Amino acid sequence: MTRPSRTQRQWWSRAYDVALRAFPVEFRERWERDMRLAFADRIRDRGTSDHTRDRTPWRLIARELGTVVAAGLRERLHSSHRPSDMVHAQDIRYAFRLLRRSPGFTLLTVLVLAGGLGLSTFTFSFLYAGMIRPLPLGEGDRIVRLTQVEGERQGPVDAVDVAMLEGSARTLREVGGYTRREVILGREGERRVLTATVADPTLFSVARTPARFGRGLLPSDAAPGAEPVIVLTYRTWQVAFGEDRSALDTHVAINGVSTRVVGIMPEGFGFPVAQDAWLPLPSSITTSTKAGVEFLSVFARLAPGATHAQAAAEATALLRAALVTRDTSERVASRMSMAVESFPAAQIGEERTLVFTFLNTLATLILLLALVNVTTLLTARANERIRETAVRMALGASRGRLIMQGMWEGAILCIAGGVLGTAGAAWGLEAITSWTRVHLEGNMAFWWVWRMDRVTLLSAGAFVTVAIAVLGSVVSLRAVRTNVREVMQDGSARSGSRREGRLARVLVATQVTVVTVLMFVGVLSGVMARRVVTLDPGFDPANLLQVDLAPSAEQFPTEDSRQAVFRNVAARLSEHGALDGALLRTRLATEDGGAGTFALRGSRAATALPTANVLATLGAMSTLGMDVVEGRPLTASDDRAHAPVALISRSVAARLWRGRSPVGEQLRLAGVGDTTQWRTIVGVVSDIPYGNLISRDRSLNAIYVPLLQTTVAETDVIVRVRATEIAGRQALSEVFEAVDPMLVPGTVYRLSESIEKSALIATGMTKLFGSCFLFALLLAVAGTYGLMSRSIGLRTRELGVRRALGATDAMATRMLLTQGTRQLGVGTVVAAPILAVVGAAATHLLPLSGALAAGTAIVVSLSILSVVLGATWLPTRKVLRVPLRDALWRD
Amino acid sequence: MRSIEFEILLTLAAEARHGYAIIQDIEKRSGGSLSVETGTLYRALQRLVESDLVRPTDAPRAALNDDERRRFYAITPAGRRAAAAEAKRLAILVDAARSARLLPPLPEGT
Repeated sequence: MTRPSRTQRQWWSRAYDVALRAFPVEFRERWERDMRLAFADRIRDRGTSDHTRDRTPWRLIARELGTVVAAGLRERLHSSHRPSDMVHAQDIRYAFRLLRRSPGFTLLTVLVLAGGLGLSTFTFSFLYAGMIRPLPLGEGDRIVRLTQVEGERQGPVDAVDVAMLEGSARTLREVGGYTRREVILGREGERRVLTATVADPTLFSVARTPARFGRGLLPSDAAPGAEPVIVLTYRTWQVAFGEDRSALDTHVAINGVSTRVVGIMPEGFGFPVAQDAWLPLPSSITTSTKAGVEFLSVFARLAPGATHAQAAAEATALLRAALVTRDTSERVASRMSMAVESFPAAQIGEERTLVFTFLNTLATLILLLALVNVTTLLTARANERIRETAVRMALGASRGRLIMQGMWEGAILCIAGGVLGTAGAAWGLEAITSWTRVHLEGNMAFWWVWRMDRVTLLSAGAFVTVAIAVLGSVVSLRAVRTNVREVMQDGSARSGSRREGRLARVLVATQVTVVTVLMFVGVLSGVMARRVVTLDPGFDPANLLQVDLAPSAEQFPTEDSRQAVFRNVAARLSEHGALDGALLRTRLATEDGGAGTFALRGSRAATALPTANVLATLGAMSTLGMDVVEGRPLTASDDRAHAPVALISRSVAARLWRGRSPVGEQLRLAGVGDTTQWRTIVGVVSDIPYGNLISRDRSLNAIYVPLLQTTVAETDVIVRVRATEIAGRQALSEVFEAVDPMLVPGTVYRLSESIEKSALIATGMTKLFGSCFLFALLLAVAGTYGLMSRSIGLRTRELGVRRALGATDAMATRMLLTQGTRQLGVGTVVAAPILAVVGAAATHLLPLSGALAAGTAIVVSLSILSVVLGATWLPTRKVLRVPLRDALWRD
Repeated sequence: MRSIEFEILLTLAAEARHGYAIIQDIEKRSGGSLSVETGTLYRALQRLVESDLVRPTDAPRAALNDDERRRFYAITPAGRRAAAAEAKRLAILVDAARSARLLPPLPEGT
């Protein structure tokens, strides 16, 4: 490397001059010349000293430039921006006076900010409380749920492994198992179905919550031969016992067994999720050494200092070791693992982060819209005060002081909007809690209680701070860039109009981008909500109950024994006087899953195989309203001892045997069961749709094979209740118990209730989302109109000159509309990739077609186009109506 | 008092100097272990001038051949007192460090 040339030194000096700009003007005026000389001396000396003669002093230059910038910024901070200099009571009073002078403007901006800030605060608090907040129990953040993971399946843990974890895991304390079960509470002639948690009594020590009355479960309650006991939730005590204190220690019938009420838990307590009562899990289950008999959900407390990841790693290692000792191959064992999550995380599932981020982003976009609008209003006001600002600067007011003065107005508006918005958010949270208590009681996790708390206030504070920073920085920038000489010479609002016009264009483009994305998401959400509200299962869901029937592999190890259970259950249910029909049904393959293909005997091999949903059934298909339109139904005698048969839906018959009867034809399933076996079609049944309930592309193609000719291990049991629902539940309980005392029905669902609740939630969410998106649209329309109106208004004189020079109104209108479209184009171009990503995610995650997403994007873009053009055309027309003479003199 | 301010006062206690000469003197005194950048130096000079511990002065006779654009700085009586007070404070600290055997003892007779 050669010695630095004169040109190089000149470049460094220029770089140094630029770096010196970091210092405030006052400092520079005093020291700049000396500093330059000193820098030049240093560089010169370094370049001529013996040991560095031939080297460029890069390090020295970099150090010098870095230090100058850092020192300059520090000097700025410590000189003009000293807190004592920055906070002036008179600035605050001045800001208040300005706001008081225009109450309409103040009210409007506060309301807009309150909407944006309140919505963001509400969304964040709502999602935080539902998904992230630790359980409201003693050290709730350390309470975890364990699940066994195999591939993508996550499920309960073998009771044997629960006992093993309890004894061996060092990172976990108070490990216990639980399961949910429906029980019939019979009391003085009145019966009630309770969803009970049958749990290891450790549950109450993990929860660290004492009973309101009486006690929780004790280990002795789970011992063999112990007196049957039950602990009630506060709500059950209210509803079933009318808050009667004497209910404690009385005996009630639980599934016909006399059981003593030993405790009533405090209001709101429902650990682990939501239930009506707790029963002790017999210790014989957790101390059993037989694997595969009972599977349990697992709770535990993390040991002090242990993390979720450490606990999961240890539990996985223990599980794999235990599996290997139980003759499971190492290869199979290595596929198993244990997940350790908080209860809120486990309840929502893996989509938690996605949902949390997505909804908060939407809310933040609405806040951004609100801020863009308020920024517009504030910059317009700042522009009106530009002469005042210039005079202040000319009289020696520092820029820091002017920045702070500009900040105060925005800060006061943001704080007022924040207070109002937080109050609104708090009201909204309380309203959600009340609404869920009324409509979804019993279906809600006990920690889903929304109200204003520390997090609400902190998030509100954070959003207000961001709002102040955004508003303050834009408005202050406007003040700082005031050109004193230009304004003093011209003195009109026009002096800042060019810069304001540029800002207005940026703001309109931002509005277009934000509102396009919001409307796109809003319309897609509306479509989804509409589908949920108008959900049609394809049959009458009234009086239908559904429950799983899964005979354990331990008790019923052979296919024959399991099929005997299915046959027995179906027969008993069909004869039960409380029921109008029963159907055992298992889905074997879906049409689009690849496994639903089948071949027709005699068809050409070259043709593509047709597809259908394949289901195994046993019992009356009329339970779901299906009729046999041709041939005969499947019966219990269609078992493996008899010839393989199948029923097909009317759609399949019409598709493949148009104009002739398919009965007697043969087909072979290509994807499930015995794929070499030809099945004879014995009948045709009416159609019901299959597939995602909220999808518009549901299939009517179905093939039904006898359940007793398959090897399925579990099935859904669907019964139509003749009289009361409770009688139906009791019938299920009786039949299961009659078939085998160890066969206990799990959770019994009322199909109509599930659909009604989905519709109720969808309606509620639609209203909530609808209001938010409407607010966003209103902001966008008003904001775009305001911006365009102002920027066109500022061009009144320019347009007057153009008109005077011969431009027609049509030409002027065309010019402004073209410019408006250009801003729209920028906004749309920015929004396009976002729409593409959101649309792709929506079609991937939801049953929405790509065409629908693309159509929505086009409709939304066209709507925004009409809004922007309308917002441009209206003020243009207004400006062109100004008489030419007035326009030319307009300031 | 910040160390850079004490270093400047120490330099100017001997004679009036311009900015670059102050940098050179400080770096020479520290044996090259201390590097003073212009940004740091002039912020410190600004504080010292504002506190009336240093004042701009004419070029000393010995430096008349120097670039006439350079501005020289001299220590004020208040600056001298402040530097002396700081030096005393540092001396006490050094003694304390010696007592605590953080530094080797002084040779006999010093």
